Amino acid sequence: MQPNMPSESHASKLHAAHYADRMKQIHTTVEQNELVGENTFRLRIAAKPIAAMVVPGQFVMIRLAGTNAPLIGRALAVYDVVRDANGEPTWIDLVYLRKGVMTRALSASALGTAITVWGPLGNGFNNESCDRLIMAVGGIGQTPMLTLGREAVGTETYGDPARANRWSENVELIYGARRKSLLAGVDDFRSAGFDVTLCTDDGSEGVKELVPNVLAARLAELPAGERVRVATCGPEIMMEKVAEVCKAADQSESEPSVTCDVSMETPMACGIGICFSCVAKIRQDGPEQWDYKRTCVEGPIFNAKDICW
Amino acid sequence: MPNTTSLSTTLGRLTLKNPIMVASGTFGYAREMQEVVDVPRLGAVLPKTITAEPRVGNAPWRTVETSAGLLNAIGLDNDGVDAFLENHLPYLRSLGTSIVVSVAGRTTDEFVSLAERVGNEEGVSAIELNLSCPNVSGGIDFGTNANSCREVVQSTRDRCKVPVLAKLTPNVTRIAEIAQGAADGGADAVCLINTVLGMAIDWRRKKTMLGNGMGGLSGPAIKPIALRCVHQVASAVDIAIIGIGGIATIDDVMEFFVAGASAVQIGTANYYDPTVSTRLIDELPAALQEIEATSVAEVVRSLG
Ligand SMILES: Cc1cc2nc3c(=O)[nH]c(=O)nc-3n(C[C@H](O)[C@H](O)[C@H](O)COP(=O)(O)OP(=O)(O)OC[C@H]3O[C@@H](n4cnc5c(N)ncnc54)[C@H](O)[C@@H]3O)c2cc1C
Ligand SMILES: Cc1cc2nc3c(=O)[nH]c(=O)nc-3n(C[C@H](O)[C@H](O)[C@H](O)COP(=O)(O)O)c2cc1C
Ligand code: FES
Repeated sequence: MQPNMPSESHASKLHAAHYADRMKQIHTTVEQNELVGENTFRLRIAAKPIAAMVVPGQFVMIRLAGTNAPLIGRALAVYDVVRDANGEPTWIDLVYLRKGVMTRALSASALGTAITVWGPLGNGFNNESCDRLIMAVGGIGQTPMLTLGREAVGTETYGDPARANRWSENVELIYGARRKSLLAGVDDFRSAGFDVTLCTDDGSEGVKELVPNVLAARLAELPAGERVRVATCGPEIMMEKVAEVCKAADQSESEPSVTCDVSMETPMACGIGICFSCVAKIRQDGPEQWDYKRTCVEGPIFNAKDICW
Repeated sequence: MPNTTSLSTTLGRLTLKNPIMVASGTFGYAREMQEVVDVPRLGAVLPKTITAEPRVGNAPWRTVETSAGLLNAIGLDNDGVDAFLENHLPYLRSLGTSIVVSVAGRTTDEFVSLAERVGNEEGVSAIELNLSCPNVSGGIDFGTNANSCREVVQSTRDRCKVPVLAKLTPNVTRIAEIAQGAADGGADAVCLINTVLGMAIDWRRKKTMLGNGMGGLSGPAIKPIALRCVHQVASAVDIAIIGIGGIATIDDVMEFFVAGASAVQIGTANYYDPTVSTRLIDELPAALQEIEATSVAEVVRSLG
């Protein structure tokens, strides 16, 4: 079950049908903040309630405490949940690319820097079973996939109460970046037991090819009748292409049946459904009809066929 | 000794159990916040502004961060008054605290009919007229002319049995004149301020950052402007004031009381510090005691 599914009494097409129904605001500190790729950092913070509740695809809002520069929090996907010696989920790890105001400030934060986080937020990926999970990611879009893949293969459980795991026979990652140095966390994905295919724009690692093309080739190899779930995260243009590839494969008789879940990264100001900043055009009541939906509470995971790109 | 300090506050015909409200558009429809803060503790809850018809709102980007501030152009994205009454009011009514419903019309008639419909519903404590939203083109800007402000307030007041609050824009030359118009029309209070018109530019793309081009600035960056507006109105007009603009700490709250506000609304701070509103209620008794005040009213308009 998805954590933020509205209960019966709230079920409506209305904006307020979904909300941050389990989020906790936590004051914590930086316990680890290390370079894991070019301009890419892995941040560890103690956040017990969030670590215990989070499911793959959910995110937190993060902010440096005690300063108004930057003022507004930023959304970061939960990359990993780390357990203490007793096996209790205790820390969350976030992986971020140094890009603008917040990530520059974070990258310069020493151990012990005071941080405010609130989460877990968003709907997260569902855990419907399939024959094969293919995670197709680019840029910094790998971040929600480590937990998703682990849950799918059955080496970890997430959520409170813990959701069912081991829901996919096979788990693959197709991971692309502009160049080798930007690929971050590849060892984490390999040691988690996923089949990893890397690709780069300049050919400096793996194949010199774009993620959607690698995915198309892979889907063409798979037998008709196999139930494949694709999960994608990364630059919007890449996700749109991935969605097209999935749709084409799904409609082809010789290829597997393919569904595609997209993790949307629209700019957010609150992450909890109260500002109406983060909207995406989502189909409703028919193919030509859409409404702006708040990705922070009704997403960030949407079925690709519902998105008006 | 919080029980010897009175937190209740009076705004014309409206009495609130404490002066900490949340600002329209910054708290969703309250249901989003039910697991985040103890919503019934708030002095009043203001759901997002509603309009007669559903509005889809502006194209993204809808918000951009600026220095200590947030620029927004949401465009009054809302499902319209019918959906509000059917889907949101029953929940709001069940909260057991004051509910102030913010409405925006394009004409006086639209304001009146919204206020009439909403104001006669059980569980609605007051109506806030959003006379100041910078993101909706086409309508008359009631907040920039004292006469049209007086007229729209008077017309709604005549037809609506609950107190009427007028929320004003700071984007005018003389805010006290507009507030005087609201007072003459019979407003129970004026709410100062809505966002300050601004913009942000991406020079490389030679484009505005907001989908709508211009937008409203909020957050700590506008607090001095809001304080100034409250002070100017408090000095010139005999009307209760609700202070809004950049409030995030108990010091901010107390500054607004001293400047002349009898209550405050917390806006953008809800976004970056979701539990701020009830924390300020917790901190208020100690701040009052620090200056040996036993009520909010003692501090209001106390600038020496
Ligand atoms: C659900 C979700 C999960 C996310 N997960 C991750 C993650 O795991 N790791 C990660 O690194 N990031 C993630 N992000 C992105 C993250 O939230 C930040 O946007 C990102 O880190 C950049 O923040 P910043 O403050 O460093 O950059 P900012 O200073 O905010 O700028 C970022 C870029 O956006 C541009 N920009 C800003 N405003 C506008 C505008 N109005 N119009 C056009 N361009 C604009 C800037 O010029 C700049 O190039 C996620 C976002 C979402 C919504
Ligand atoms: C994203 C956003 C949406 C807003 N929507 C509304 C609205 O629907 N109606 C309204 O009267 N004011 C709206 N406001 C203005 C606030 O209620 C408030 O007047 C303003 O933001 C100043 O207060 P602050 O600095 O504490 O945010 C909005 C503000 C923001 C930032
Ligand atoms: S980020 Fe505020 S509503 Fe989604």
